[in-house]
Amino acid sequence: MSQSTNPTTQFQTDANRVTADVDRRSFLRSSLRGYQKTRTATQERFLSYESARIAAGDAKWEAIENLDVYLAQFADKLESRGATVHWCSDSEEARSAILEIIKKHDAKSVIKSKCMTTEEIHLNELLEKEGFEVVESDLGEFIVQLRDEAPYHFVFPAMHLKKEEINTLFQEKLKSINTDDPEELTMVAREVLRQKYLSADIGISGANFGVAETGMISITENEGNARLTTALPKVHIALMGIEKIIPRLEDLALMLPMLATAGTGQHLTCYNSQLGGPRQDDESDGPLEMHVVLLDNHRTRLLADPEQRDALRCIRCGACLNVCPIFKNVGGHTYGTTYQGPIGSVITPHLRGLKDWKHLSHSSSLCGACSETCPVKIDLHHHLLRNRRDAAGKGQGGLAEKVLMLGFTIVMRRPWLYRLTGRLGKIGHVLTKPIHGTRIDPFYAWKKTRDLDDPAKQSFKQYWKSRK
Amino acid sequence: MSRDAILGRVREALSVETDTHVREVVKKSPHSLPVLANGPDGRTQAVKEFLPSVGESLEEHIAAFKVLSDKLQTEFIVVPSIDSARQAIEQLRQKHEWERVAVHNHDLVQTCVNQLSVEFLDTSVNYDAHALEKCDVGISGCDALIAQTASALVTNHSAGGRALSVLPPHHVVVADASQMVTTMADGFALIREKHGDNWPSFISFITGPSRTADIERVLVLGAHGPKKLTIIMISA
Ligand code: SF4
Repeated sequence: MSQSTNPTTQFQTDANRVTADVDRRSFLRSSLRGYQKTRTATQERFLSYESARIAAGDAKWEAIENLDVYLAQFADKLESRGATVHWCSDSEEARSAILEIIKKHDAKSVIKSKCMTTEEIHLNELLEKEGFEVVESDLGEFIVQLRDEAPYHFVFPAMHLKKEEINTLFQEKLKSINTDDPEELTMVAREVLRQKYLSADIGISGANFGVAETGMISITENEGNARLTTALPKVHIALMGIEKIIPRLEDLALMLPMLATAGTGQHLTCYNSQLGGPRQDDESDGPLEMHVVLLDNHRTRLLADPEQRDALRCIRCGACLNVCPIFKNVGGHTYGTTYQGPIGSVITPHLRGLKDWKHLSHSSSLCGACSETCPVKIDLHHHLLRNRRDAAGKGQGGLAEKVLMLGFTIVMRRPWLYRLTGRLGKIGHVLTKPIHGTRIDPFYAWKKTRDLDDPAKQSFKQYWKSRK
Repeated sequence: MSRDAILGRVREALSVETDTHVREVVKKSPHSLPVLANGPDGRTQAVKEFLPSVGESLEEHIAAFKVLSDKLQTEFIVVPSIDSARQAIEQLRQKHEWERVAVHNHDLVQTCVNQLSVEFLDTSVNYDAHALEKCDVGISGCDALIAQTASALVTNHSAGGRALSVLPPHHVVVADASQMVTTMADGFALIREKHGDNWPSFISFITGPSRTADIERVLVLGAHGPKKLTIIMISA
């Protein structure tokens, strides 16, 4: 990833580089084809997947539109069970809350199970700077951590890597045997991490859902690393965004299969655990302390938008990335965001500022594949359009766009001028033919990645007249 | 305090109602069955009416559980009596050469294992995690078997704590056929009935042995948790 300061330039540079890497792109595509196949088969077993989506979407609407009530209920219940709830307005507050807990326990090592929210607040950097050993236990996360990279995809963090690359990485960093067999590679990681669970003082996890009614967090995973992270260390810290709430426990019976189906194509993920508090008096294991860190970090800004609060219903299944033609071509790192793909493009401008991130609204073909696949029916591609509209409305389009739009308005309001421009355009197209595709073509930059067909012999207007 | 500040911002944000157009998009769909009532009842019903069907009878449930178990590579053994469950466990011991077995204070589990000549670790009381890590298998009870998803529903009460079912390389669940229910919602209802408001601090739906596909989408069992999951159901 290039470390450019301007996110737009960084996106363009990285996108150009990645799209040129045909081999990697086809690798990505074939893996996503595999996902699509499993998912279709699982979806077909539903009596009505479409209706299930509506019901799941409804559960999240209820939560988001009553978030004040449910959040308070969630926190009160958790506290009544002996957990401590920390309310954090931004990354800074969340980082210091977590650091304080770790310091209080005089901890040395921290084991983490997958949690995108910790990426959002850059927790690992901080903890490592403070001298703690932080180990990611999810296999994909473990791999990208060893490579000192951000996750490529928020559900499949290491999907861009080939087994040969992981072999090289493990040999170099873990002094492991030479093998590119996925099973053997997985066992290498298993052995390394086993000891870490037993010795870690602190376990940090995320939460896929927060159940308001009963005050529990729910964690979905396949590997068992989150279960170990929340069972063995004496302190458990869970970091979750305030939008993760669902109203009732029974809602999970619907949400968990939906998350699995859309996320990986499984009918249900291997472990779906609900944790409500630290070890209770009559229990024989589990952490002595449980801390739940609730993070706002501009989610309330998104909530204040009566149209786009819709996006807070996201359950982070990653399906919209998997079907997105842009993601398939530019890859995950190009986005430069914690959340990639369509959902990332929708929410990042709200969470981190429209000015710097509005270019993401254009990283879309508006094909609508994302909205169609979303298990809670978020209107993703329209939100991308809305972000474009908002950026334009705030005059953030830049001078060139302004001049262009002004010219467009003048032409469109005057039929004679429109006709004239059409004719001139045709003539221009024919005249410039010899220089098409060369650098002296005034539209070189635009045409570099596009083919411009010859204009039709007859314009639509002419056709319409002639048909009467 | 931050709590008030955040809740205040949430309230203020919600003072503007959701754009009706955005809300509408979600409702409209040509492919859906009639939309059920909003709210909790509608959603619990949705789990039965929209998710995969597994029939009503125990036979149908067992059949569905079996099909998914095969796919998940869960070893699902149905036995006619407690005696045959004991035999099944003895056979597993021989096959996998168990020497150390983790168990807990649970009637059915105790009845099924007391003939084994192995070293036992009891996790119902304070125990050493390093000792559990050295066990060859953890044998536990459960709260329910879920037909729709082929899951064993456990809590720290029914499964000897949080770690017994995930730290050793093999997890064996013993259950009675009367514990088979249709959906995950039915499973939650059972726990609600059993514990009332005094929820166990840990509940988990275990659906197959631990797995990962993080390397080139190749399925590998036993990523961090057990490589093997055996569910023995007594259908007397
Ligand atoms: S927006 Fe929808 S499809 Fe995309 S990650 Fe969120 S829930 Fe999944």
